[in-house]
Amino acid sequence: MYPAPIETYAAPTTLAEALQTLASHGSDARCIAGGQSLMQALKSRLVQTKCLVDLQRIAELKGIAVDDSGVRIGAMTRYRDIAADARLNGAYQALVDAASHVGDRQVRNRGTIGGSLCWNYIAACMPPTTIGVGARLELAKRDGTRRTLSAEDFIRSPLETAREEGEILVSIHLPALRGKAGSAYKKWGLVTDALPVIGVCAFVQLDGSGSCTSARFAVGGLASGPRRSRAAETALEGVKASDTGAIAAAAKAAAAEIETQGDLWADQSYRKQLISTLGTEVIETAFARAG
Amino acid sequence: MNRTVSITINGTTLQETIPIRMPLVDFIRDVASLTGTHVGCTYEGVCGACTVQLDGEAVKSCLMLAVQADGHQVTTVEGLAKNGEMTPLQQAFNDHHALQCGFCTPGILMTAEEFLRQNPKPSDDEIRHALVGNLCRCTGYAHIVEAVKDAAGRQPG
Repeated sequence: MYPAPIETYAAPTTLAEALQTLASHGSDARCIAGGQSLMQALKSRLVQTKCLVDLQRIAELKGIAVDDSGVRIGAMTRYRDIAADARLNGAYQALVDAASHVGDRQVRNRGTIGGSLCWNYIAACMPPTTIGVGARLELAKRDGTRRTLSAEDFIRSPLETAREEGEILVSIHLPALRGKAGSAYKKWGLVTDALPVIGVCAFVQLDGSGSCTSARFAVGGLASGPRRSRAAETALEGVKASDTGAIAAAAKAAAAEIETQGDLWADQSYRKQLISTLGTEVIETAFARAG
Repeated sequence: MNRTVSITINGTTLQETIPIRMPLVDFIRDVASLTGTHVGCTYEGVCGACTVQLDGEAVKSCLMLAVQADGHQVTTVEGLAKNGEMTPLQQAFNDHHALQCGFCTPGILMTAEEFLRQNPKPSDDEIRHALVGNLCRCTGYAHIVEAVKDAAGRQPG
């Protein structure tokens, strides 16, 4: 476990400078965010790079801002900062749930939401959570222009994303919401705060009477990459917090719909059981937070 | 391949030319010759024995490169005791027999020191959650949790 030689290290202080450095090194360059996954990959030499572009000194990529248009989370915002931000409570509390239990204290002190999304490890919490809460991601292209796309479109199979060479993920956007909304995320792993064998995120929006008008339900820990369950989302429409049977049925519908894999940590049917059990719990929590 | 960095460890600034690929833990142990910071899991990032503080925050020094610490302040276990006098946390570890072989202890101290600064009156559950990233294969953790709890009571204020 030791990195292969690295020829160049750049620590730009502006996004423009970082994009320029990436452009001038082409496919030889790679960004490092918090490094809590990438350092492992560099040491095992799964990843080798000639040029490492460290994003940690770029202030414009850090921090959480809340205004009338919604929430903007800089890509280099660390888990510890998301875990401690009470402004996310309620509608976007799933992010707090996820960030509070990523890895361990040391990992949360350096690891970032943007790094997790761009790495898109199979057992990661941020990909299903951002998909679950309906986040949109803003990327800066090489020429400085921006594009936005949904987390769902950005996240692909494990270790794959829609990010193109030379692009940098700038921020994660959560829309402003009218009315009552709540979300929750929970994972199950072999030990406390371990990598998720399955992680489930639920988001519900309620009308004045407490009935669900729209829901999102996303699952991570899947060989095909995180995905939504339309069956669960449809089943939750019109459901109230008190309809515990309907909530459990929605989570069960997700377990039936989603294809799972068996491996050393859990077999296929156990993963389905986790989707059902954790799913029921996060839907109930999301309802409670919306109320 | 190489880069000159200026890293302050326990108040002493070192200016050195090092390979870019060098993990921070190797800089601390091999360049600064501060061997209190341990490597427990062959750099896999899972054991927490190499935990140090970067600008006062607990981080695993095998999960970052030394060049990333350029211009930053690093605190290692050697930076805790002042003038040979142990901190309340170190004293509590001694009093509660919170170590056996001691290999994990420097990392645990660096995590717990930061934790207690942010949460001066923690519950047992909070202490255990704070120490998730530090493995100990001797004590079974009970004495470590007791020591951290006792140290919280000893902090001034």
